[in-house]
Amino acid sequence: MTHESAVRNAWTPAVATGWTVTVVEPDAPGTDGAISVEGMDDAALIAASMAGRRDAFDAIVERHRRTVYQVCYRFVGNHEDASDLSQESFVRAWRGLKTFKGQAALSTWLYRIAVNVCLNRVSVKTPPTDPIESTDHFEDTRVEGAQAALLREERAATVRKAIASLPKKQRATLILRTYHDLSHQQIADILGSSVGATKANFFHALANLKKLLGNEP
Amino acid sequence: MTHLSADELVDALDDTLESGRQAHLDACESCRQQVVELEATLGATRDVAVPEPSPLYWEHLSRRVRTAIDAEPPTAGGGSRWLRWPVLAPIAALALLVMALAVSLPREAPIAPAVATNEAADTAVDDRFAVVADLVGDLDWDTAVSAGLIVSPGAADRAVLDLTALEQRELARLLQAELTRAKS
Repeated sequence: MTHESAVRNAWTPAVATGWTVTVVEPDAPGTDGAISVEGMDDAALIAASMAGRRDAFDAIVERHRRTVYQVCYRFVGNHEDASDLSQESFVRAWRGLKTFKGQAALSTWLYRIAVNVCLNRVSVKTPPTDPIESTDHFEDTRVEGAQAALLREERAATVRKAIASLPKKQRATLILRTYHDLSHQQIADILGSSVGATKANFFHALANLKKLLGNEP
Repeated sequence: MTHLSADELVDALDDTLESGRQAHLDACESCRQQVVELEATLGATRDVAVPEPSPLYWEHLSRRVRTAIDAEPPTAGGGSRWLRWPVLAPIAALALLVMALAVSLPREAPIAPAVATNEAADTAVDDRFAVVADLVGDLDWDTAVSAGLIVSPGAADRAVLDLTALEQRELARLLQAELTRAKS
């Protein structure tokens, strides 16, 4: 059996298929001689994680950590909180592995968890946002470019702060729709609401942002 | 005709507005202005990227997650660590021995519910099982295997079904005690 087919069939019941799983790569530490997680798709990683393989869950974290972090950062607007929320999201995913039935993509499931973690944790007051970096950082001969970069960053910080001050559901809808290209239906599924409510939240999020940003956009 | 609703304005942003309403939008300066303003806000929002953390951060995050999961109670997650072979093996061996003893005991007439409360009978059975529990309490899996005490698939289920109500109750008590001991 080739490595590829071994990986593909590693998590298929041997009795049903007649496959014999052959380990053709060196074992990763702590995998008890099981097949490598490299090359496994999300479904296989989930199955392996549910079977108790921590290296499979590590691979899930590695694949999705950037997306989860970005969702959290958009929510809170600062690195420290985003980092804590990302960690919490993955821990909850670990706890909830048995409830993952595979109807949705793993990424959608993780979005749901991350959004719920953010919705539950984010305080009602505006969270602190990361400060704009010092102008010293940009001081060199390209003063004009540095000033433009500073203005751009100031503008970005203003927008992030405005987003972080939106009501929770509006914030979640805006983030998932604008930055993660999720459909209104997907967002409705994640937030447990209707498509109509999702569209209304999106509209009001943009309307509120317009007010918060004044004439700047 | 009425102006576009919030839903319809969002549809207009997505270019999914129903044709009849699109005709209204084309003809309505007010609605068009709203769509233009929403597009401007959306554009300004979309341009804002998340600051990229240090390249070392991602591995740091993975480590944090790993550490946090390690600190989770053992029943959490996909694999229940306390239900693995090193813990299950002595329990399985114990269960096997208890069942073997129970099956070999002279079977008395079916015990009526009232008999189950008979303290004298309970004490006698407790004593017998206590001896077995003492004997096999520290039996590990390798020892059980080398002694030929391997449970064939379904054998435990069948043996448990053959036990009387009193025996099943005692088995449950012993297993519970063993699980508690294994977890502690």
